[in-house]
Amino acid sequence: MDILDSLLMGVTWADVQSWLPGFWNGFIISLEVTAASLALGIPMGFLLALGVQSRRKVLRLASLALVEIGRGAPALVLLQLVYFGLPSAGLSLSAFLAAVVAISWNTGAYTSEIIRAGLDAVPAGQREASHALGLSALDELRFVILPQGLRIAVPALMGFAILVFQGTSLCFAIALPEIVSRAYDIGSMYFYYFPALAVAGLFFAAVCIPASFLVGWIEHRAGAYARR
Amino acid sequence: MAYDLDVARMKALSPSPLGAPSASGSPAPEPSRPVIKLDHLSKSFGTFQALQDINLSVLQGDVLAIIGPSGSGKSTLLRCINWLEPANSGRITVGDLSLDCSKPVGKEQITTLRRQLGMVFQSFNLFPHMTVLRNVSLAQERTLGRSRREADEVSMGLLERVGLADKAHQYPVRCSGGQQQRIAIARALALDPKVMLFDEPTSALDPELGLEVLAVMRELASSGMTMIVVTHEMGFAENVSEHTMIMADGQILEYGPSREVIRNPQTERARRFLRAVNDR
Amino acid sequence: MTWGHLVHIAYGIPLTLALTGGAFFVGAVLGFPIMLLRESSFMPLKVAMIAIIAFIRALPPILWVFLLYFGIGTGLINLSPFVAAVAAFGIIAAVNMAEIYRGGMVSISAGQWEAAHALNLSRLSIWRDVMAPQMVRVALPPSATYVIGLMKDSAIASTIGVAELAYRGKQVSQMSFEGLLPFTVVGACYIALSLPVAWLSRTAERKLRAKVAR
Repeated sequence: MDILDSLLMGVTWADVQSWLPGFWNGFIISLEVTAASLALGIPMGFLLALGVQSRRKVLRLASLALVEIGRGAPALVLLQLVYFGLPSAGLSLSAFLAAVVAISWNTGAYTSEIIRAGLDAVPAGQREASHALGLSALDELRFVILPQGLRIAVPALMGFAILVFQGTSLCFAIALPEIVSRAYDIGSMYFYYFPALAVAGLFFAAVCIPASFLVGWIEHRAGAYARR
Repeated sequence: MAYDLDVARMKALSPSPLGAPSASGSPAPEPSRPVIKLDHLSKSFGTFQALQDINLSVLQGDVLAIIGPSGSGKSTLLRCINWLEPANSGRITVGDLSLDCSKPVGKEQITTLRRQLGMVFQSFNLFPHMTVLRNVSLAQERTLGRSRREADEVSMGLLERVGLADKAHQYPVRCSGGQQQRIAIARALALDPKVMLFDEPTSALDPELGLEVLAVMRELASSGMTMIVVTHEMGFAENVSEHTMIMADGQILEYGPSREVIRNPQTERARRFLRAVNDR
Repeated sequence: MTWGHLVHIAYGIPLTLALTGGAFFVGAVLGFPIMLLRESSFMPLKVAMIAIIAFIRALPPILWVFLLYFGIGTGLINLSPFVAAVAAFGIIAAVNMAEIYRGGMVSISAGQWEAAHALNLSRLSIWRDVMAPQMVRVALPPSATYVIGLMKDSAIASTIGVAELAYRGKQVSQMSFEGLLPFTVVGACYIALSLPVAWLSRTAERKLRAKVAR
């Protein structure tokens, strides 16, 4: 038990309880950033998925650049670029807004690939059938390709949503007081690093473990559906 | 046609010393003594009774065809014989080895059992990451302790015998299904089995490619190999195998000399099955 | 931003590569036994492994880095930032590689096991001669993707003071009072570093596929 003692450093239940309100506020911030980033990022991903297939060169190249940078650069660097970088271009954002912008960008880039893969997975026969029926390109997309393609993409999108929630922990680097920042602050104030970080871990585990089993189950069911 | 060429090659080579029972190293059993004997063999998957009290003897040099509707237990029977599926009760005797299926059986005994049995699968199951030659040589080196050179020599002889020596250094993917199955036969023969088990060897092949596999099997039968063949090929059952067994619902419906069983079945269930096959 | 600043950032590349390589090595080695334990037929062990894997994946990488560097480092053993980061990413990589290996194993048809058993190959020989080579082939593309992801995650090591690319980018941004350019350069470095990995993986895959794929 020596090991545990030296990790817990004599922390008491009362200590842990006194931290909980702070952690809860941090948790809410993480959820807010997640929700906002998904709400902005997924539609952006959808537009980027169409953009990289566009026939207009400018649109295609711009989409491609946004996707490749958003996926290729670490999320941490994107955060710092938006938070520390944009001010020098005359645009100062709060830590929260910067987080939403950077993570939305990251989300849009990744989800564009997921959505594109989903649309590509719609059998070619469906397009041919739409052409044969004389559907316009827009109707083909709206009534035939999108409903099927998005259904294929849903499990992967949900899996990515979990990663976005985990990714909000990176906002530590821009001093947004989310869960990990709270733990770090407690640690640096009282040297209760391990207990505080462990509590932060429990918050993530409580959300991510059930969520990932749920996604696994949905994936499994979607697979069974596709096999039928 | 490639198929004719292969047959011609095989005729020129047979009788081949390779793969014949006498090459197994052990003295050939008395002709009257069964090489394989199954007593009261039963196997169930959960509540489903896949095999029910199967009794069977296969004599040295015998070729037995097992036919029957799908789900009748014929493949399960084959897989129980070489312990890919452990049976629940009964006794399996192969050569001098006799195993009680209701008792736990040691690894060495399973090894000894499988040493005497060559297996050919419906889906070939060649190792895709190895050349044809390596496919045939690997188990010789690993289980018989042959050197690479010895093993390759045996393999080349066998590939010659199945008409595929020119494919030795290619990967299985470059071979047609019929060629892959002939390679799989060579791979099984390379371990000098006493008995060859075939699990629907031509079912995954179109008829023309099936013919070249059947030609190899026919040659093998005429060389005196003991064979148990689960098949849908009535022609093979009638013309090549000495005995035919019809199974349904995990039981043996009919057993006897092939011509009699196929021309003059005794049970109504067997007649129905054979009518359905002939109507196809 | 000056030429000197650019050189300063570039000096972070070896550390980024070392972090990535070290963590991937740890993960690739530990991933295999973890996969075997997870696939164990002994139920309690299997359930325990599934729980451990789920837990390790549930926590974000930065939390593992902090747990090892601050959490354990403060009370127990002092780890250097570099070692703590490699250990943290190594743990995460191990469970992810285990899943990649598992995917490779699942993709090998049951017929391969049966054929190997029917040929009487020993357990060792089945793994070495039949399973491992096929698993490597299937696991290669997802592993390459994972290495690239790992390299991006390694930027997190900057938060505990490992002087790799992202750390130096921030330093330069503070020294030069510029934000846009240093971080853009750093981002471009990561993208540039991932290109050879992607290219190597594609080439290797194409070569393997040309030889054996159906």
